[in-house]
Amino acid sequence: MLESRWFRRAGPAVATLAAVAAVVVIASSTLGAPARTWVPEACSGAPTMGSSTAGTWYRIDPALDAGALAGQRLTVGRAGDRGARQLDLDAESFAAGPVGGTILVGTDDGRHSRLSLIDVARGCAWSVAETVDVIRTATLGSDGATLFEYRVDRRTRADLGLWQRPLDGATPPSRVLPPIVADARFGPTWLTDLVWSYDRRSLAVQSCGELACRVRVLDPVIGEVQLVADPDVGDLVGIAGDRLVAHGVCRGLPCPLVSVDLHDGSTTVLDHAAGQAVLSRDADGRPLVVHEVGAAGRTLRIVGLDGQHPAALDGDPDGRRLVGGPARSGGAAETAAGWILFGPDGRLPIDGALRPVLRHVPDGRTVPLDEVSR
Amino acid sequence: MITRRRRRGRAVSLLLVAAVAATLAGPVTRIAAHSPDPALGGDTFVQDGRLLYDWRTGAVPPAAMRTAINAAAADVGDTRASRAATFDFDTAGANPIGYGTGTCGVNGLACFTRDAPNGFTMWFREQGRVFDWGTLKWCQMYTDAPSGCYDVETIALDEFGHVEGLGHHVNYSDDSDYTDAVVQTYSRTRPRAGYNMHVLGVCDVAQLQIRYDIPGASSKYSTCLDVATVMTLSRSAASVVYGGNVTFTATLKVVTDTAYGRLSGNPVSGRAVRLQRRPPGTTTWSNFATMTASSPTGSYVVSTRLYSSAEFRAVFSAPTNEGLRADGSPAVAVAVGSCTTAPCPLSTGR
Repeated sequence: MLESRWFRRAGPAVATLAAVAAVVVIASSTLGAPARTWVPEACSGAPTMGSSTAGTWYRIDPALDAGALAGQRLTVGRAGDRGARQLDLDAESFAAGPVGGTILVGTDDGRHSRLSLIDVARGCAWSVAETVDVIRTATLGSDGATLFEYRVDRRTRADLGLWQRPLDGATPPSRVLPPIVADARFGPTWLTDLVWSYDRRSLAVQSCGELACRVRVLDPVIGEVQLVADPDVGDLVGIAGDRLVAHGVCRGLPCPLVSVDLHDGSTTVLDHAAGQAVLSRDADGRPLVVHEVGAAGRTLRIVGLDGQHPAALDGDPDGRRLVGGPARSGGAAETAAGWILFGPDGRLPIDGALRPVLRHVPDGRTVPLDEVSR
Repeated sequence: MITRRRRRGRAVSLLLVAAVAATLAGPVTRIAAHSPDPALGGDTFVQDGRLLYDWRTGAVPPAAMRTAINAAAADVGDTRASRAATFDFDTAGANPIGYGTGTCGVNGLACFTRDAPNGFTMWFREQGRVFDWGTLKWCQMYTDAPSGCYDVETIALDEFGHVEGLGHHVNYSDDSDYTDAVVQTYSRTRPRAGYNMHVLGVCDVAQLQIRYDIPGASSKYSTCLDVATVMTLSRSAASVVYGGNVTFTATLKVVTDTAYGRLSGNPVSGRAVRLQRRPPGTTTWSNFATMTASSPTGSYVVSTRLYSSAEFRAVFSAPTNEGLRADGSPAVAVAVGSCTTAPCPLSTGR
C-alpha cells in the first residue's frame, strides 16, 4: 500500500483530478446554461467546509465508448450559478457529499486510487489521498476533518475493510472496520456504500450482494458496531436514532420498505410497495420517511420510522420524481434539514429541461432548487 | 474523531432473519421450494396486453444489447403459456428501457419499475461497470463470450418476468431446480448451467398462469403447479328400460380456490376422461367408456345403451405432463329394467 503525504499536501493543479479531468463535453446545467469545461485548480490551505452552502450539487453519469463504460462524467454545480462544471473520471470512480459545499471524488486509474475534495464555490480541489489499494467509496466524517474510505485489494478484489484518515494527513490511515465476513446468503459484494445517520453520529457501512445487503452501523466515537444481516433486506434508505430504514430485496420498484429497530431487531413494514424513499424530518425535528406510493411516484406518503402517523403528501404536479439517495439517483444536492428534492426521473437534471425543486416537508412549501440557495 | 475503539458486533442479525422474513411476507406470497415464483404486489397488466417499449432517450443500449433485449421480449411471447402481457419494441413505445446509471440503486445487473396496469421502465448496467468484486461483462458484447459474463437475454427475460409481476423463485437449498425459473435472486455467469436460459421456466409460467390465466381450456397447466380438479357426473335418466339409452355428462373444472387466482374454477377440456362402472353392491370399478369433449367447455359426454343396473363415475387421471391433480366424480346409479323380450342374455351385462 502506498500512501502519499505529498498528495495530501495538495499537489499542484490537483493532479488527482487533473490527471483524468480531461475537459469534456459541453452540456447544459441545471439552470439551462451551458456547462463550463473545467480543470480544477489546487485549493490553497487546508481543506475547509463552507457555510451557507445549500444548493451545491453533483451528478455522475457513465461515459461510454462503443457501449462500454470508458469512464464516468461528473457534473458539479451550485444552484444559483449560471453554469455547471464537468470533468471526466476513470471507470472506477465515485462522488460523495456534498458537505459544506464540497464534493468528495474518488477515481482509480488501474494503479492508484486518488481522492480529491472539490470546493465547488471556489472552483478548486484538494488532493486528500492516494492508495495502491482500490478505494471503492469514501465519505467525510461529521467533524469535517476525517475521511473514511472503503477499500478492496487491487489484484484479488478482496475486501480490505473501512479505513479512516485525517484530512490534514497528520497521522497515517488506520483500519476501523474489518472486511465483512463472507456469507453465501448474500454472495460476493457488488457495492459498498457509506451512509451517515440523519444526525451524522453513526456511519452505516452497507455491503450489498447482487440484491441483499448487510449493514454495519458504526459509532465512530466509541467504535461500537451493530450488524444487520438479513437476506430479506436490500438497500439502505437511511438511519435515524435507533432505526434503520431499507428497501426489501427487490430488483426494482415498487418494493417493500421496512424499518429495523437496532436495539431488538424487530422490524416494521412501513409500506408493502414503495417507490423511492428518503429520510426527512417533521416540524418538531423528528425524523420521518418520505416515500413514493408505488413505482409511479404520482403520490407520496410520509410516515414515522416506527410506522406511526402516516399521512399523504402530494406528488410533484409537473411530474418530477422524488430524488432518492446517491446510490439510486447518481447524485445529490446539499439541502437544509427538512427539505426533499424532486427532479425529472428522480435525478438531478443536467439538460435544463425541467428544473429541480425542493419541498419543505413540515409545511409543504415548494421552491426551485436555486432559489433557496441564495 | 475516534477517541476510543470498541467493536462489538451485536447479534441483531439472527433476530432479524425471522422477523423481517415474516414482515416482508405481505406483498410477496411466500411459497416453498419448487413452487410457482412468488407474486409481486400490485396489479397485473391486461390479459394478453401488448406493452410497447422504446429505448430511453440519451441512454440507448448498444446494438448487441438491443438485439438481446428484443430477443428476450420475444421469448416472453413464445414461452409465457399464459395470458400474460407481451412485449414489443416500438419507436412510439411508452415504456423506456435504458442503459447506464438509471435509478437502480445498489441492485446489480438491471432493474425495473412496474406500475401495472399502466406501464414499466427498465435499466441495464453498462458494460464495464466496476463493482467491488470486479468488472461487469455482458456476453453479447463479445464475439467470443468470456467466462464470467452475464447473458443479456437471460437477464432481460428475468426483468420482463418481474414486470409481469413475478418475484424471485425460491429454489431448493442446493439450487438443483435453478432452471425451473429464469426469475432468480442470483444470476449465473457463463458457463454455469442456466446462465443463458432463453425461455421462461416452468415455475415462472406457473405464476403467470395464476395471475393471468391459461390461454384456453385445453392449454396445459405448468408442471410447477399442483392444481386440484373437481369432476362431476350426471346422467340423462336414473332408470331406463332394458337396453335403453343413457347419456352421461361429466364436467371437469379447477377447484374454486382463491389461491389459484385466475385459474380458480376454470373449465378443463381436451383431457382424457373415462367413464367407469361397477355393479350395485360391489367396490371394484372397471373402465366402461371414454368420454369425449363436448360443449360447454369442460364437458365430456358419452351415450350408451344399458342392459343392467350399475353405478357410474367419471375419472380424470393426473397427466404426467401438466400440473393438474386427478379426480373422480361421485357415483351415480342407473337402474335398468329386466329383459322382457327374447332373446335375453343368460347373465347381466352390456
